[in-house]
Amino acid sequence: MGILAYNELIKNFDRIRNYMREFYVCGFKSRGEFAGKSARSYDDERRRIESWLGDYLCFRQTAEGKNIFLSINCRLTRHNPLYQAWKTKSFTDGDITLHFLIFDLLPDTEIALSLNQITDEMDRRLLCFSHPKTFDASTIRKKLMEYVQQGLLCTEKSGKIMLYRRAGTVELACTDALDFFSEVAPCGVIGSFLLDKTGAHIEPFAFKHHYIIWTLDSEILCALFRAMHGKQYVRIQTVNRRREHAAAQEVIPLRIFISVQNGRQYLMAYIPHSGRIGSFRLDSILSVQALESCENFDTYREKLNRMRQNLWGVSTESGAERLEHVEFTVRYDSDETYIHTRLEREKRCGQVERIDDHTSRFFADVYDAGELVPWIRTFICRIISIHFSNPELETQFKRDIEAMFSLYGLGGGDRP
Amino acid sequence: MIFSELYGTYYNTVAAILREATQHPITKEELHNIIHEQAFSESILSIEPCLTSDRWQLLKPDGTTPLKNPPTLPLTLLEKQWLKAISLDPRIRLFRFDITGLEDVSPLFTPDDIDLFDRYADGDPFEDATYIQTFHMILDAVKERHPLSVVVKNRSHTTTPMNVIPEYLEYSEKDDKFRLITSGCRYGHIINLGRIISCKLFPGNYHEYRKTPEIVADKCVTLELYDDRNALERVLLHFAHYEKEAQRLDEKRYRIRVRYLQDDETEVVIRVLSFGPFVKVTEPESFVELIKERLKMQKSCELN
Repeated sequence: MGILAYNELIKNFDRIRNYMREFYVCGFKSRGEFAGKSARSYDDERRRIESWLGDYLCFRQTAEGKNIFLSINCRLTRHNPLYQAWKTKSFTDGDITLHFLIFDLLPDTEIALSLNQITDEMDRRLLCFSHPKTFDASTIRKKLMEYVQQGLLCTEKSGKIMLYRRAGTVELACTDALDFFSEVAPCGVIGSFLLDKTGAHIEPFAFKHHYIIWTLDSEILCALFRAMHGKQYVRIQTVNRRREHAAAQEVIPLRIFISVQNGRQYLMAYIPHSGRIGSFRLDSILSVQALESCENFDTYREKLNRMRQNLWGVSTESGAERLEHVEFTVRYDSDETYIHTRLEREKRCGQVERIDDHTSRFFADVYDAGELVPWIRTFICRIISIHFSNPELETQFKRDIEAMFSLYGLGGGDRP
Repeated sequence: MIFSELYGTYYNTVAAILREATQHPITKEELHNIIHEQAFSESILSIEPCLTSDRWQLLKPDGTTPLKNPPTLPLTLLEKQWLKAISLDPRIRLFRFDITGLEDVSPLFTPDDIDLFDRYADGDPFEDATYIQTFHMILDAVKERHPLSVVVKNRSHTTTPMNVIPEYLEYSEKDDKFRLITSGCRYGHIINLGRIISCKLFPGNYHEYRKTPEIVADKCVTLELYDDRNALERVLLHFAHYEKEAQRLDEKRYRIRVRYLQDDETEVVIRVLSFGPFVKVTEPESFVELIKERLKMQKSCELN
């Protein structure tokens, strides 16, 4: 078998999804550490990413070799640079030739043509080339049906003959809405496709706390949305990146939970095997296959709605039977009343109580109190009491604080 | 499928080339310019030979095309479904968005399919008529670079009038708020839209123009990370939207440099604290002191 020549475009998104994540989120691995991938594969993917995103690609020379990483200031870029990766699907010479000829033969919604008419006219148009391509009717029919499925063409019958007509479109008047939602809405890359159809314009928006990496999971997200609307089971294939193994299971997708603070997106789904609602990270899902309908979809979604009032994040660790209690009290000065406002603004469930002008208490019953620990730590310097119903968690929390004192030479315990 | 050649850079670039070729014979230079402007850095190596060697039979040797019309494409069903989905978002009221033609399209997703579970609860009032009116005025002023006279409510419940050049609007998904980035005002250049109580076009010329503010991450903090309880992955993803650089020191230890803006320093401090003993600030000394100060205060709380 001959070696395939390098191509800037790609057939499959999975591999580039992995590489872009490594280069953007991690960025400390050298060429040799991309386990399971050939050196040639690494070189090709790196060259592609450089061609698409050259301005953002950086490298550092280390003892282990050259480390490639993507460095992007998300507050400066008006549009997500990683969207470029979605615009790199390869195609055949026939695909592109057919594409432009078909829509030229069907320039507006008034004209409807049969397969024979399209084939004949296409042959006539290509006669101007020294070695004109000829497309057989079945190839053209396949392409036409593909476009019917995509909503670009519609069909109608004239007697026994099938006619093809360009589908109606909608005006893309509001570039402001596209500029904004292409960055903040799920599957925002579709907004980027729409922006590609508009002309140059002033881009009035920038974005802070912007997790551009989410776009790499758009295809997975799209398939899950479709399954949710069809109230269908799905078979998801997931990968455990630490243990490097993949597994498949059937679940009922219920809702997408998105963290705008830690950059993770999750599928919340009912898992028939365990009879529980659980979470799956979208970046760990390799594929989604829609299966049959689920009669109880609404019941499970309602169950998730009820669970929501005791969910801090996505962990349903203890199940519905046993909730964990957590509470802590903070002290602040007269000019720091914003601390009470912070508790109110940042709490996701539970309650906040103002004890006096300088003291506030937060308390909640949740499925997994461990999920609150990072948030509680953000109040370090003013926590005067804390209590977890899970004693191990309380001990761990206090031990971690001691370890932090020790880290900075302020006494306390060892690093855990 | 989102990953389709229909939305691809090559199809868009070839459409732009053919659009020209339907008007007049396209020259080699024009061809190069379009590829250079619209495609990737190495695309010239593929698109030009494919178009000129009859592989893609769309461009004749004389620079004309067998196409009779400038290429156009209706929206795909996926694009329409996405547009329908954003039309259901409460923030769409900020825009003059017309859903004509989408009435019978089912949305790709609805607000009920998504839960941004850790977004702050005091976001801007996107459905408030006064807020929408202010937003429209500011958006128009940004695009026309028309100066504005605004009155802003301060934390101390006093008000400050100011004249500004509106540069752009910055949205934070975490805060669910818009901020107006401005120039030409001595009181700072970031205004929370939610704090604006009056906004008018500044009458006449406004000469107090200052250099456009640049959002440059001028500060840097160096963290040493101990990879336990999945700390490495959590920290790298958490700080993903900052410019950063990670380096492995040994099997368990990593050095991470995060660049940030001075305005965001307090936020970075509490984010670092949230990772507990797995992250230690090593540089600069001023940042180390910020962490130590908080830890000393915590120690004085005598948490038992």
